This record gives sequence, C-alpha cells and structure tokens, in this order.
Amino acid sequence: MNKISTTCPWCGCGCGLYLHVENNSITGVSPSRNHPVNHGTLCVKGWNCHEFVQHPDRLTTPLIKEGAALRRATWEEALAKTAAKLSEIKNTYGPDAIGILGSAKCTNEDNFVLMKFARAVIGTNNIDHCARLCHSSTVGGLAAAFGSGAMTNSIDEIRDARVIFVIGSNTTEQHPMIGMHMLEARDRGAMIIVADPRRTQIAQFSHLHMRHRSGTDVALLNAIMNVIITEGLVDVSFIRQRTENFDDFEKGVLAYSPEVAERITSVPAEDLRKAARLYASEKRSMLFYSMGITQHITGVDNVRSCANLVMLTAHIGQPMTGLNPLRGQNNVQGACDVGALPDVFSGYQKVADPASRKKFEMAWSRPLSAVPGLTLTEMVDAIHEGKIRALYIMGENPVISDPDSAHVRAAFAKLDFLAVQDIFPTDTAEYAHVILPATTFAEKDGTYTNTERRVQKIRKAVQPVGDSRPDYDIICSIARLMGYPMDYRAAHEIMEEIAILTPSYGGILHHRLDAGFGLQWPCFGMDHPGTPYLHRKKFTRGMGAFIPVEFIPPAEPTDDEYPFLLTTGRSYFHYHTGTMCRRTITLEREEPECTVEINPADAKRLEVRRGDPVRVKTRRGSIEVKARVTTVVPEGIIFIPFHFREAAVNLLTINAVDPNAKIPEFKVCAASLEAVRKKPGTRPAPRLSYHEGMKQGLDLYIPPEERPSEE
Amino acid sequence: MNTAYILNKNHLSFWLRTLKSTHELIAPTRDVSGDIVLTELQRMHETALDGPALMPSPKEFLLPQMEQLFCYSEEGIEEALNKRPRVLFGIRPCDLSAIRILDTFYLGKTKDAYYEARRSRTVLIAIACNRPDPTCFCLGLGTGPFLKSGFDLQLTDLGDRFLVETGSETGASLVTAYPHIFTEPKPADGDDLYETRLASQSQFEKRVNLEQVRKHIQAGAVSDAFWESVAVRCFECGGCVYNCPVCTCFNVIDRAASSEAGKRVRLWDTCMFKGFTRTAGGVIPAEAKINRTKRWFHHKLIHWPEQFGAFGCVGCGRCAISCPGTIDMATVALRIKGESKAEEK
Ligand code: SF4
Ligand code: SF4
Ligand code: SF4
Repeated sequence: MNKISTTCPWCGCGCGLYLHVENNSITGVSPSRNHPVNHGTLCVKGWNCHEFVQHPDRLTTPLIKEGAALRRATWEEALAKTAAKLSEIKNTYGPDAIGILGSAKCTNEDNFVLMKFARAVIGTNNIDHCARLCHSSTVGGLAAAFGSGAMTNSIDEIRDARVIFVIGSNTTEQHPMIGMHMLEARDRGAMIIVADPRRTQIAQFSHLHMRHRSGTDVALLNAIMNVIITEGLVDVSFIRQRTENFDDFEKGVLAYSPEVAERITSVPAEDLRKAARLYASEKRSMLFYSMGITQHITGVDNVRSCANLVMLTAHIGQPMTGLNPLRGQNNVQGACDVGALPDVFSGYQKVADPASRKKFEMAWSRPLSAVPGLTLTEMVDAIHEGKIRALYIMGENPVISDPDSAHVRAAFAKLDFLAVQDIFPTDTAEYAHVILPATTFAEKDGTYTNTERRVQKIRKAVQPVGDSRPDYDIICSIARLMGYPMDYRAAHEIMEEIAILTPSYGGILHHRLDAGFGLQWPCFGMDHPGTPYLHRKKFTRGMGAFIPVEFIPPAEPTDDEYPFLLTTGRSYFHYHTGTMCRRTITLEREEPECTVEINPADAKRLEVRRGDPVRVKTRRGSIEVKARVTTVVPEGIIFIPFHFREAAVNLLTINAVDPNAKIPEFKVCAASLEAVRKKPGTRPAPRLSYHEGMKQGLDLYIPPEERPSEE
Repeated sequence: MNTAYILNKNHLSFWLRTLKSTHELIAPTRDVSGDIVLTELQRMHETALDGPALMPSPKEFLLPQMEQLFCYSEEGIEEALNKRPRVLFGIRPCDLSAIRILDTFYLGKTKDAYYEARRSRTVLIAIACNRPDPTCFCLGLGTGPFLKSGFDLQLTDLGDRFLVETGSETGASLVTAYPHIFTEPKPADGDDLYETRLASQSQFEKRVNLEQVRKHIQAGAVSDAFWESVAVRCFECGGCVYNCPVCTCFNVIDRAASSEAGKRVRLWDTCMFKGFTRTAGGVIPAEAKINRTKRWFHHKLIHWPEQFGAFGCVGCGRCAISCPGTIDMATVALRIKGESKAEEK
C-alpha cells in the first residue's frame, strides 16, 4: 500500500490529500494534516474523489464516428484523422475557422500546451474555456480596477478576520473548506454578513442576512457605499494616496440612498446601513464573492462595485482584508493564468501587445495572430454563422454547461469536425467525430492553481486506464502530425517553459513545489517565496481605479406569463455537469435527481407539494423536475442546480451576456412553474438496467410514481 | 503473560528490515510535505514515531475505504481475499483498542471473511504515547496511552532505547528470534518506564468523561435544541466517520463492466449522509441533519455500550481534526457536560 500526495480534483479550495494505492487500484483517500487549506479535513467530494478514476465507464480507446455510430480506433488512426481534418479546415477556411476549448479541470501544463497548440500550430486566438461562464467578469473587472483579477488574500488568513462579508457565494457548500475557515473566524468572534437571496448554510451562520432580489447587486453595493460616504466611514488617506477617479465615482453613488436601494433590492434600508457600518468599522474586513456576482449581464459592473467598496474603506493590500473572488473549479485560476483565454498569453500578457507577441513568437518560432479570438459564447454563434467549422474540446461539456443548450446542440451538429478529449463519454461527445481518451488527475503529473493562487502538484498514483493518455501528450502528438515539433517528455518540462515565458510564474518549478504545499503566485524568481496577499504598498496597475457603476436591471424581467425569477447554481454533493460525481455512488445517492427549490407560499398557491413533479418553463424551453419546498428560497424565486443532464436547466437559461466579459446571465431569467398531473394508469417507459442506466448517466433511484406497478 | 525486553534504538532499523523480509511493513512515514502518513515503509530510517495521530486510522488496513470483494462473470465468482502477511508498526494504543472493538463487530457471531483474511495475517506493534496530542482523550477511557494487553508487541520510548512488551505468541516470536538485540531489562528500565508513563498522563489537555455524558443523555438532560445547535454546524462531509477507528459501516455496490461481468466492491459509508437511510420507497427517515448528527453520538455513547459493553469511541481525537464544523466527540461531550452543569446551578 502506498500513499501518494496530491491535490483534490473537485473545487477551487485545492485541498491537499493522499491517494491510497494497492496493486494499481485506488483503495482510499485521506486528508493532509498540515495543508494550509484543509488542515486534516476534506469535504464529502474530497473524501470520495477516488471512485470515478477506475470506473468501468471510462473511455479507454480512441473512438471515430462512422455513419451514426462510433467505432474503436487505434491512436495512430484517431490522431492522424484529427490532424488531417484540422489541417484541411485550416487550409481551406483559414486558422480562425477553428475553435479550441481548454479546461478548468485539466492541469496548467495541459492548458498551456493547448493554448500553444491553438496559437502556434493552428494560428488562431480562438481559445477559451469555461472560466468564461464563471469568472470572466472578475478577470475583466478587477484588471481594470486593480490590474490583477485574482483572489487578493489567502485562505489561511480568514480565521483571523473580524468581519466577513459574503456576497453571492454559497461558501460552505461550494468552497467547503473556505466555509470552514469562516466558521472558525465566527467562533473567534468575527461578524458575518451575507448578501444572497437564498438562505444558504453560511447565511444561517450570519449575523446579518440581506436577501436581495437576484440581479440587484449593484444597487445593493452602491447603497452600502452611499452610507459609508455619507456617514464619513471612508478611508480618506487611502483614497488620496492609492486610488484615482474618486470624485466621479462619488457623484454616482450619492444617488443610491438606502431608501432608493430598498425599492430595487427589497432589502430594508436599515439593514443596508447596518452592513455598511459593520463592514467599514473594522480594519480586518474580508469581502468574498462568487457566481452570484459574476453570472449576470452586469457581471463586470458587479465586480467593479465590489472593488470600489474595498478601496473606499482601504480593505485591501493587507492581510485579513481584500477582495476575494472564489474560483469554482480546481484549476480555473490556473487555466486562466496559463492563457486559455482568447485575448492573452500566459500571465495575462496581451496578444495585442507587440512586445508580448514578439516574446512568444521568438520562443515558439511561429508568427502569432494579434487579433483577440472569440470567446466561448461567441464561438457558438460563430458556428451558426458558418465562421467556425471545427472545434477541439479538451475536458469540457458545453452542451450541459452553457446557456440555452438547444442553441449549443444545434451549433455542434453543424460542425464539419469536432474532436473531444475527455475521461467519460459526455453529452458533448455525442456530437464528436473523434473522441480521444484522456487520463484523470490520478494518472498523470502536473499542477493545479487553487483559488488563492497556490500552484500545487498532482502526482501520478496509478497507471492510466486502458489506452488513455495525459491531455498534454495527446495534443503534442497532434501538433507533431501537423508539422510542429512539440516534444515534452514530462509535465515538469512544460512548467519550465511556463516559468520562462510568464513573469508571475517565473519561480514556479516542479521541484520547488515538491517541498511543502506549493507556491502562491506572483512568484518572480527562484528565490521568491510566493505572495500570500496582493497589492501590498501599491496596486498591480499602480493606482487603484474607482469606476462609477449604475444599476441595470436583468435582461429578462419577470412578467405575467413567466412570473418566477429562475436562478441556477450548484449543489454540495455534485459537481458541474455531473460526469464524475454522478458516477460516485455516495454523492449520487445523496442527490439522485434534479429538484427545483420553491418557497412554501408559492408552492401552496400552485398546489405543489414536496416531491411533486413540476414543469419549469422559460422562453427557451422547459424541463420536468421534482419540487423541493423550502424556505431556502424567498417567494418569487426558484432555484435549480445544473448538474443533471436528464433535467438540464441550461435548456432554460438565457444566453444574454455581459457586454464586456461575455459571461451569460445564468443567475436570472423569467420562468413559469406548474404542477404536472400524471394521468392515473399511464406507464413509464421500461427502465434501463443498472449498468445501462449508469452508462447513460441516469440516476439509479426510481421515484415511486415512475416505478412499474406490481400486478 | 507479558515479557519485557530492551531494544537499543540503533538496532531498530535492523529489526524492521528483518520484519520487512517476511511481511508487508506498514509504518508511520514522513512525507516530503511534512505530513506523517501510515504507509509501506521503504527506507527504514524514514519511520517517524514521534508524530501526531495518523490520518486516517489504521482501520483502513483491515477494512479499506474501497475494497474489492469478488469478480463475477458467467463462469461464477472469484473472491478477492487479501492474504498478504502484514505488520502494522507504530500504531497507537487507542488504535489498537479500536481494532479490538472492530474484532468484536466483524469477528463476532457472524464472521466477515474479508476482514478476517486481513486481520488474521496482521501483526500489531503499538507504540505507547509519551506525548499525547492536544486532541487526545483516551486516558479517561482506558484505551491508552499505555496498554496492558491486546497488542502483539508494545514499544515504549525510553530515550535511547525502547522497552518492548510482548502480548501474544506471534509477538513474542518476532522478538525471541533475535536474542542478540532484545536484551533483558534492568531495574533502571522499570523506573524509567514508570516515570515515562507518569509524565505522559500529566500531559493530557482534555479530560472527557463519556460515562457522565451517557448518563446525562439517558436522563433526558440533553435537549433537541442542543442537538440542533450541533447539527447546523455539520458540513455533511462524513469525515468524522471515515476517520473514526471504531466506525464500521460500509456500502456494497456492483461495478458492472458489461451486463455479464463486473466486480462487487464495498466502500466506507457513513450515517451522516441522507442517502444512508434512503429506503426503496424514496423516504429518508433521517433526512433532517439533526437526526443524523444526534444518532451518531447516541450510537457511540448509548447503543455501543449496550451491545458490546464498550463505548464506540476510544478517544483518539481524530474527529476533532477532521470535522470542519468542530462538532467532534470531545467538543460535544464537553459541551453537554458544561450545559448540564449550568443547569444544576
Ligand atoms: S473543499 Fe474542494 S478541494 Fe477541498 S475536498 Fe472539498 S471539493 Fe476538494
Ligand atoms: S469518535 Fe472521534 S475520538 Fe472517538 S474514536 Fe471516533 S474519531 Fe476517535
Ligand atoms: S466531520 Fe463534522 S461536518 Fe463532517 S459529517 Fe462529521 S459532524 Fe458533520
């Protein structure tokens, strides 16, 4: 029995854990005692991260589509076909007819190689990944305000904070170990303020819970800042010394008195005042936010408002303060850092900047495009317009994760060529012409960057299942077939290249990560110890910029036909599109089916009881789910998690996007809800066997009313 | 009857190497990161006996978190019993006490063949605790920090040497085969042993009287409001149960490779999950978190003593480390004691 030290593959907390291996099978998991994030704890997903690795559903050989069916193929054949197709499309329609999607689940090394492949081999900047759907507004919003779009402080600091302000983050469920630190801070006397329409677990711990209407965050934050200004709680010297453009900003905010905001947000003016006083009156106040802020058409505005707030009170650039966007996926921070984005190389060096481009051209000995590429959401439209003919997807499942799924499916069906590289057959892979089997986190080496910018190693614990290969290895092979020499013998060689080309990763090499628990970027050189908190002494961009922000209502207001505000998100037990967690028995058993949360008052009015099937409809589509009657949601708001392919909530969501970040508004759309009355005597379709069901990702639990009767 | 020997620390590596030649040698090992983990020892000098309690407990070597039971196909089934002889070296007395409780559970009236296959081939060599962790509370439970029996061998660190006590014939045979390194103790060794034990006992930071807590609960002195205040802090991670050396629950699943063949595995399960009590009809008796957290404590403090004559807790303190909500056995027990004291006043 061996124990291999590695990093949790689920969420952005990046907990340290050990995989236990006996005879090449994983027999268990245990937490690392000394890891600065988890200190000997794990959440339910971490404890069960071993189960999917050697699951029988894993893709084990390359598959090629022939007619309507897929057939097994050798690596040579599949790679040759992929290379030939990509070359053909590139030669016929130009490099920009190809789109590439990286993955926040894959390592920094995988994503770096993929972005090099897109830029140097294909010759396009059309590379993006699912960060577009979660924190692209952060990257854009904070770059403008501070010059760097990452969590400013460290998880380890949370326990010593005095005030913790959480807006739009279901922290204990989505970042459990950060939630743990918050609870510890509370036990040590910290005050917790939560702004969230839903009464989440962290809201239950809070001293003040503001249940604002989804999509009114700007009004809420402006009102809080209004109070801080009118009551003289601003840090004048900080504003003078470290920031600019305060006067413009102040004028805008003065229009948002708490009373005005109360009408927009439905949060009592007095609560807004309390929040402002609490947050501003302590020196060690930390602000946290997540998807509740970013996934709006005003995502960037929301982020800017948060930035304004921390600058106003000087809660930045010190330990136990800061503005802390919580990044969802294990490596979404890293995938952005290494440049799986359409407008930047690794380390956010702009493709439009001639000096950066020159550097990469020299390193990669290819001319590079200066035009920023298309974003993920734009690529889908471009396929419909015939501008993009081929897509290469590494470890993502846009058919389930992107808004307005029907639109996405129609696009993928139109593609001349789609290659999907993944560990399980996904819904997206159904449209693929070639499917390439990749390895999981337990079968390869590499690094993940967690939400606090900590670059940490993952280590190979078992041999890859079947013929699966590490993601970077697959891409290198295709690059070589397309006539570009790409030979990395191991992941650490890729990291060396990242370090050379990326200033903020300059001192990050695998052998340094082996001792201890990784390094937090920026880490400029081999003797640089890493950076626990950002913007010390001065902002990355120099002066912090106040940016005036006006409230704009959500894209789709509720009306008589669609009276509910539908908001989407995640559940504690599941992860994203469910390919991994729904094959993990303990997680699947906790929540085997999709439910819609509805307030008891609404449920009563519509005569819906707990567990009843209901139909939720929007202008895009409709799905049938079970009702979960709960006061977690306020009246007028319903909530559906997006993990369930059989009830894919993204059939309903709107693809309206933020004009800057192109992030879709997952958090608000108008919906209707009605009870489904099943006719007595109707028989459900025959059920699949356990195994067939699992293969198709269906749940194992048969709800009572769908069970065949026993006569 | 226990016999004591002295082993000079310089001879430890030699002895471990001989053990390794016949057994899979599992021992606490220091990882590059500084964590100490229980794993197969490769280089003898890497063993670290001075670290804190190991995570998870040695239970995983008798009941792995995920264990293949058998493969099945049209030809029939092929059992996967682990028959490798093993030495668990350097486990703590509380863990040993826990294994004895596991034995009553898995080797009682109904014997678990998979457990038995591993257990009967496992040699247990404990190291007494000279320096208990701040989370430990075995002292009041009689499950540590030094044991009188139950081990194959028990080592006590006396500075430059170990005092080695034999507790079984298997244990004795591993010592008597090497008379040149295991020598007879001198009277001074006995004095040092006594001194060491005394010093260890004085270092316990926590005194938890589970018997008192049990009485309080049985007297109905612990309200549901109290359990609600505990339950709200539960993150439903399962860490308390996964990490507990005494918890025994598992789930059995089939992993079908095709409709004809596959394997049956079992994996650790915990009563902290809703799904644990999900019935075929979809009803979940313990759906509310309070019902689950409360039950765990009740099971360990009331039902275990009724069924097995011992608490379902050996005071190892691991749940204190692994619980993100800080609602571990010791914390809750102390709170119950505190609250009932406050009421008495
Ligand atoms: S908190 Fe996140 S990183 Fe930690 S164990 Fe849970 S899923 Fe993994
Ligand atoms: S309940 Fe906690 S302290 Fe007691 S044996 Fe289990 S893990 Fe150890
Ligand atoms: S370890 Fe704590 S948080 Fe986790 S299930 Fe147990 S009681 Fe709940």
